[in-house]
Parts: sequence; C-alpha cells; structure tokens
Amino acid sequence: MVAPFAFLGAAALAFCTPGARAAGNEPLDPPPALKDYEALAKLPDWSGVWTPVISDQERQEQSNPPPWKPEIAKQIKKMYAEEEAGRPFPIIDHCFPTGMPSWMLITHNAFEVLFTPGRVTILGEGDGNRMRRIYTDGRSHPPDPDPSFHGHSIGHWEGDTLVIDTVAVLPQAYLAVNEAVGVPNDGDMHVVEHLHLLNADTLADDLDIAASKILTKTWHTTRKYYRQRAQKYEIVEGVCQQGKFIDAKDADGHDVFAPITFHENVPIGPSSK
Amino acid sequence: MKRPSSLAAAIAAVAVGVAAALPAAAHHSFATYDRTKTQTIKGTVKTFQWTNPHCVLWVVIQAPGGGEPQEWSIETTSPGVLTRSGWTRHSLSPGDRVSVEFNPLRDGSHGGGLNSVTLLDTGQTLKAGFGEEKPELK
Repeated sequence: MVAPFAFLGAAALAFCTPGARAAGNEPLDPPPALKDYEALAKLPDWSGVWTPVISDQERQEQSNPPPWKPEIAKQIKKMYAEEEAGRPFPIIDHCFPTGMPSWMLITHNAFEVLFTPGRVTILGEGDGNRMRRIYTDGRSHPPDPDPSFHGHSIGHWEGDTLVIDTVAVLPQAYLAVNEAVGVPNDGDMHVVEHLHLLNADTLADDLDIAASKILTKTWHTTRKYYRQRAQKYEIVEGVCQQGKFIDAKDADGHDVFAPITFHENVPIGPSSK
Repeated sequence: MKRPSSLAAAIAAVAVGVAAALPAAAHHSFATYDRTKTQTIKGTVKTFQWTNPHCVLWVVIQAPGGGEPQEWSIETTSPGVLTRSGWTRHSLSPGDRVSVEFNPLRDGSHGGGLNSVTLLDTGQTLKAGFGEEKPELK
C-alpha cells in the first residue's frame, strides 16, 4: 500500500501550493494522439512563407508611433536625428535575436509558421536563432519563467485567429520602430497578439504592447505579411555572425572564415589579409 | 536606460578590448550610407560575399590619377532577399568587370550601400532592394 499513500501525498502537496512543481509532480507533455493531428487540419491555412510588408511598416512608423513616456520620447527624437545625420543607433548590430515584439515590427526577412499538436512555432530567417514557441495546449505561463529574447508565449484559437500572450521578455530587448530607433523595454513588458488572415494571402498581426517602463499606455499597432509559395521564397539559413567574416584559406590550405575589418559599423577592406 | 551615446561607447570599448580591432557589426541600419548621394565606380570583382545578414561585393578599381588600386566594399541585403529578386551566389564572380552604383559612406571611406551593379561584359544589371511587394510572387 505504499504507492497510494505516495500518490495522496503528492496530490496534497500540489493542492496546498498551487503552481508549485514538487518533485514527482512535474508537468508532462503527453504523446500526441491521432485526434491531435486531425485537429490540425481544421486550423486555417498559414502554409508558405510570409514576407513583411515593409512599406506598411514605414507607414505605421510615421502614422502610429508608440506612446512613449516624455523622457523616452526625447531619446527617440535624438535617435531620429542621429539616423538622419548618418549615425544610426546600433539596435540590431550585436547579432542577438531582434526579440519580441520588434521582430514582428521591423523585420525585413521572411518567416514561416508551423503547426504541431499543442504548439505553434514561428521560424524566422534573419539573425539566426529567430524562433518563437507558442504553446497552444492550454497551459498557463510558468510562475517565474526565465527571461528570454522572445519571452514565454501561450496561445489559443478564437475561430481562425491565434491569440498569443507573451511575457518574460528580456528587459534588454528593444521596442524598436526601425533598425536605428528604439529603446530597451526595461522589463515588465506584456504583449498580446491577434494573428489572423486579412484575406487569402495577407496575414495580419494585431499587437497590443504594454511596457510600463517606457510607454504611457498600451500601444496597439498592426503589421502585415504577404504569403509566398514559390520555392525560391523558402527560408534560408541566416547566421548573423557569419557576416563578420569572409571565406579564406589558412596556412594549411583549409577553408576557414577570416574576420573582416569594419569602419563605422560597415565592412571596409581589405577583404583578406 | 543608459543614454545611447554612452551605451554605444561601452559597446565599442568592449569590442576594442576583446578583439583589438574596430567594432564589427554584421547587421545594421543602412542609414550609415548617404542616401542623398549616388556614386558610380568601375572595376573588377575581387569576391562576392554571399552571407547573412548582408552580402558584400568587394571591387578593386584603379585609383583616380594613378596610384595603388583601391578596394571598395559595397554592401547589400541578404541572400534570402536577393534570391527573391533573381540573384544567386554566382551572379557575380571574381574577375567580372562591373559598374557599381551605390550610396557612399559620408566620410569618403571606400564603402557604400548598393543600388545596382552592371556586368560590363554582358550588360546585365542586378538591382538591390527588397524587390516587388505583393503576395504570391513568381
């Protein structure tokens, strides 16, 4: 009779401390069943590759700027002046992932959306390691998730709209309106997205971004992406760090990467030593 | 937050300390290039760097008025974006004679942001940029 007592003990512990992950009570991902795969067929068709509507990004940047706090607005104004003067602030130069929500806001590169049981995965092309895992299995956010560039995302379907709730984005991740203008979110950011088809081949992401450290109120904005099915649009590998090197041969004749010299953040020769 | 200027200085200081070189930035805004000016050079392709996040065309030209040949680095968008505009990694090869139109760096350094490149032996012109913007492109 040892096992039942052990079970009761674990259940009592879970009951007394909701959300606690006591030993022996770790949440599990159950193996998917046929019905879980069949359910995927009922989801909207988001296949293909989605390319950002960059002209609309620029229109949104002008017509619907974030409600920056006054002190942040001064910093943003200075960044625009610096950009105009040819000294763009290096928001993306570090080669870290652009992070959330700026990836969705300012990317120039394509992404694809994968459906698997209990999860939606968004894979991006630029800057390597761009990937969003959105759990659609009904779970809640963990009580204390480790911050990350893309945060912790849970989602659910409301008809053909995927509603995504994202927390735990690194405070250093920028809220950016272009590649040279934006500020770190500084923590406590909460992003809610409604991702849905506007028409047969246009995907819209309606974003509600709450970032209390830098915004006066929740910022609502939309970004659009066009579907491409031609195979030449398929996602290619994009490793940002590779751009800091050029193909070369070492002293033994091996193919290696040699560092490039940079000047004012752009590559300047010689291309090989 | 830190002021942008102090943050940039901090990043630069770290980069210099670690690499003992100028700070390298692979992915960046093209506002560094002077988009109010267009410059054209004719020369020979040294190499065409087909890498993310930005491809780079390295061109060697004869210096105006003689002197040592100059090497110029002309940057453009990524392999994925260029592929969709009809480019391949073989679009430009070492030794190709080219005319390159670009937005120059503001301080006269030998670099720029690509507008277009014409292969002088075939007359083919390849354009930079993000290509056409609509769904279901062929």
